[in-house]
Amino acid sequence: MSPKLHSITGRAWVFGSNINTDQIIQGQYLTLLDYKEMAKHTFEVPRPVFASKVKKNDIIIAGSNFGGGSSREEAPKVLVYSGIGAVVAESFARIFYRNSINIGLPLLIIPNISKLVKDGDTVTVNLLEGTLTIKERGDVIHGKPLPERMLEILKAGGAVPWFKKRKK
Amino acid sequence: MGLTLAEKMLASHTNDGKARAGEIVQARVDLLMVHEVLGSRILPILDEMGFKKVWNPNRVLVVNDHWAPASDINSAEIHRRNRNFVKEQGITNFCDVDCGISHQVLPEKGLVVPGATIIGSDSHSTTYGAFNAFSTGLAATDSALILATGECWFRVPESLRIKVSGELADRVMSKDLILNIINELGPDGANYQSMEFDGPTIDAMSVSERMTMCNMAVEAGAKCAPMPLNQDVKFWMEDHAPRKKWKEVKSDDDAEYVESLHFNLDMEPLEPTVAPPDLPTNGKPVAEVAGVPIDQAFIGSCTNGRIGDLLVAAEILKGKKVHEGVRLIITPASKGTYMEALERGIIKILMEAGGIVTNSTCGACVGGHLGVLGAGEVCISSTNRNFRGRMGHHDSRIYLASPATVAASALKGVITDPRSV
Repeated sequence: MSPKLHSITGRAWVFGSNINTDQIIQGQYLTLLDYKEMAKHTFEVPRPVFASKVKKNDIIIAGSNFGGGSSREEAPKVLVYSGIGAVVAESFARIFYRNSINIGLPLLIIPNISKLVKDGDTVTVNLLEGTLTIKERGDVIHGKPLPERMLEILKAGGAVPWFKKRKK
Repeated sequence: MGLTLAEKMLASHTNDGKARAGEIVQARVDLLMVHEVLGSRILPILDEMGFKKVWNPNRVLVVNDHWAPASDINSAEIHRRNRNFVKEQGITNFCDVDCGISHQVLPEKGLVVPGATIIGSDSHSTTYGAFNAFSTGLAATDSALILATGECWFRVPESLRIKVSGELADRVMSKDLILNIINELGPDGANYQSMEFDGPTIDAMSVSERMTMCNMAVEAGAKCAPMPLNQDVKFWMEDHAPRKKWKEVKSDDDAEYVESLHFNLDMEPLEPTVAPPDLPTNGKPVAEVAGVPIDQAFIGSCTNGRIGDLLVAAEILKGKKVHEGVRLIITPASKGTYMEALERGIIKILMEAGGIVTNSTCGACVGGHLGVLGAGEVCISSTNRNFRGRMGHHDSRIYLASPATVAASALKGVITDPRSV
């Protein structure tokens, strides 16, 4: 998987602050060995309709501290298996940030973003420039582009392809 | 400027011996702990990588602890894969389902030493900071890369200094202290940072009390939580790792901190503290939530399932009975803890009071098994997370507290100040 980092367009799903990994995927589903099965339970507690309504390339918009709590890599993985194209938040919890980059899920930090985007807005994320554009209103909102090393891993499609490339 | 504990511990594991806050460094890992995530998630990644051999079979600990013994067919399969991997790779440190919770068994096996870099596939791996070590949690992909190379990249964290002085009053525990500290910081108040505790209160604490503090540092987002060495840790090392060589790590007097907080318990005495749903940082004095009816009281986990925790509960419950309609579940943190509690008569007291004592596992804390909550149920718990649905149904509610407060609440059937029983 090698995401198009300059232009990811989809509908926004807007969340508040402190959405932890237990809210993304509950502990009781972690023994499921098939990610496709597990992804059916994504956001089951905070947004029960999510799994049945999510479409390819939809974008998660969140407040601060997205992905806190458990280190489970299953959290960004079920987002990828749900088709999520990118997550844009005001800040990310440390392990979630690292896990997402590792598995190739694009992230972007933009201050105040959860107040600027409305649920269902069509948005385009440009990772390379660190911007989000709201289609309906034409607003372009600027965040901080990812550090070069993170972009490099994302461009490779995640830490494993990145590692294999470097080993050669 | 001088260096913090995190900077020194990482610097001693880089090729050029340097590590400054904000830099990204490649560091050697002394020990990697992986649990069920090995069988479920890491092995498929290793296949994709074309992995052949673990970098050093003596520097890996594999633990089957989350669903121990297996709670369903999937967890049984995960355990089976872990056993096979241990055999194939000749891994010397393995704790199967009889052993206990990783964060307790790792130090019990003498695998943590001061100054070491320890990585765990579990967010509560900050616990080993209690032993003057650098430790943090990562997940499947990073663990896979460490298994192959013995190294990992780290962003060297800025440090937050937390000094604690004064004494903990009777039936006020280190759990109450850390619930207060993370309440002050908020759920991301220490995100990406090293939470460095010191001061006379930390120095006087037992290993067990210190582990509770470092364990919950991650609930404020901390990357690691190294503490200065103290006497009790030295005794622990003599008991558990007598032949291992290690060197104490001290921060420099002029080390740079992003912030310094001081908790003076003599000036502001600490109350038993309870964190209502749905964030561990929601702590408030027990008086503010006293009287809330409970269905389940749980004592256990990597946070508060150690011998000192069970002892406090037994003191409160001795010769008394758990309130009608309340389930008191006790899960000792390890087999070693369980056996010591048996020998000291603690298990008998807890069972005679009406408690259910389970084998050592993460079970109830992750909503896995042996104490799952039903719809609408309320649990007071000595664990670390009260997120919605964490221990079972999404309409159940979790209040976090010390083992003393959990035991007192089990007696009364409502949330209760442990000093009142």
